[in-house]
Amino acid sequence: MTASASAPAQDQTIRLADVRKSYGEFAVLKGIDATVSRGEVVVICGPSGSGKSTLIRTVNRLEEINSGSIFFEGQDVHAAMSGRELNLLRSRIGFVFQSFNLFPHLSAVENVAMSPIRVKGVPAAEAHEKALKLLDRVGLREKANSYPAQLSGGQQQRVAIARALAMEPPVMLFDEPTSALDPEMVGEVLSVMKSLAAEGMTMMCVTHEMGFARDVADRIWFIDGGEIIETATPEEFFTNPRHPRAQRFLSDLRH
Amino acid sequence: MIHDMIDIVREYWLLLLIGQYPNGPLGGLANTLILSALSIAIAFPFAILLAFARLSKYRALRWPVTVLVYVTRGVPLLMLVLWSYFLVPLLTGADVPSFFTMLATLVVYQGAFLSEIIRAGIVALGQGQMDAARALGHGWFGAMRYVILPQALYNMIPSMLSTFVATIKDTTLGYVINVPDLTFAASQVNNQLLTQPFQVFLILALTYYVICWSLTALTNVVERRITRRRAGLLAPKRPLPVSLTRNATEQP
Ligand SMILES: Nc1ncnc2c1ncn2[C@@H]1O[C@H](COP(=O)(O)OP(=O)(O)OP(=O)(O)O)[C@@H](O)[C@H]1O
Ligand SMILES: [Mg+2]
Repeated sequence: MTASASAPAQDQTIRLADVRKSYGEFAVLKGIDATVSRGEVVVICGPSGSGKSTLIRTVNRLEEINSGSIFFEGQDVHAAMSGRELNLLRSRIGFVFQSFNLFPHLSAVENVAMSPIRVKGVPAAEAHEKALKLLDRVGLREKANSYPAQLSGGQQQRVAIARALAMEPPVMLFDEPTSALDPEMVGEVLSVMKSLAAEGMTMMCVTHEMGFARDVADRIWFIDGGEIIETATPEEFFTNPRHPRAQRFLSDLRH
Repeated sequence: MIHDMIDIVREYWLLLLIGQYPNGPLGGLANTLILSALSIAIAFPFAILLAFARLSKYRALRWPVTVLVYVTRGVPLLMLVLWSYFLVPLLTGADVPSFFTMLATLVVYQGAFLSEIIRAGIVALGQGQMDAARALGHGWFGAMRYVILPQALYNMIPSMLSTFVATIKDTTLGYVINVPDLTFAASQVNNQLLTQPFQVFLILALTYYVICWSLTALTNVVERRITRRRAGLLAPKRPLPVSLTRNATEQP
């Protein structure tokens, strides 16, 4: 069962066509076909080791693929291209990591401002001003001069989201953004993500936060064994999952 | 005996300090320090390049450098000094001053050592930092320059200071190819006095000891500061590092 191909081509921000990847003999992605439309929020869930991280990392080419293609706004992400083109492409795809990966030698505001300055050539003063606005948006204006080591996990992840937003990407990818957080900090990160979704950001989120999926997702992709075996609206997925493995996954989550 | 030593220093301090300069080449302690500082200054960027090559995904870059690093680390420095002493004139066809032969040898030798330290420092940061930088659109070199190296090199300041100490000690081997350094000056003094080798070489040892000991003490202070700063206890005072604002317009 594959994702709907119903969205008109110009509304497709991301399209994956028969994407395959293996590590040696081991096939991690076994032919992924799916699309993400503009403004859509897709939540990807599935058991551990099913290939969720690998899948989302192929979208901005942090991972290479063996065959198939991935289109981002019509551009073939895995086509041969110069380093400069690839950097430009990546700068237009926001990515948030499970482990935050803030740059520890830079303060929060520098973390956010650095890439616009270095990659896009935005004047430093302008980039800093914008960085402060973004930190304000994630509720961390007063932490602008703190270093990552001085921030809690939830605060670090919010800075990481601001950092990704600073490049003004039309889509944001999240790989388990709350899995490394203490439970009391999950909410603050999810609420930033919710507000992003409410503003119409196109998002692909790998997450096990089913509350978030229910409230925010337009569609859920359930992935198992390197295949998307079910795509559904949250309502369908939670009340009436079709695939037995999705049913088992959901019942495991509840217990 | 302390008397003798004070007399020797009184008599020969200028020779020990700058050698026969200005009547001959610069030598003595000055030359030792210049040789050490120059070799570190050149070995350091050289070591970064070697580390990049060792980390490269291209075998053609990785292999020769790996061999160079292993050979250099597995051979006594004295052998390298003698090798370059006979090889460099052969290769260049010119009569290279022993100072430069020694400099080249030290650069290769310390470069190989430092490159391993730098490589370990880069690897220790983990893939996440590089991934984050690449995801934001930095190229490989941009990621290295703005994200990886500032952290790796900062963490390595203590190792680099100890390499500097080692280099100062290593310069003494220049003696065998007549580099006019502090050791050379001391042996000249000894040749003139003939009767007080113990005193002369004790002065020499003390001088090296004081220099190296102070640098080691400095290393320890720096190391403690870095440890505290890593723990997030010691926030740097500057609100914005110069590096972020200074060459903001320099981006190609
Ligand atoms: N570099 C690698 N080399 C070999 N196998 C790998 C590599 N990276 C991932 N794998 C394997 O690929 C499979 C999918 O990994 P992936 O990280 O995409 O899973 P995941 O769905 O994100 O799991 P989790 O929920 O634990 O994060 C796993 O079985 C993993 O062991
Ligand atoms: Mg994962």
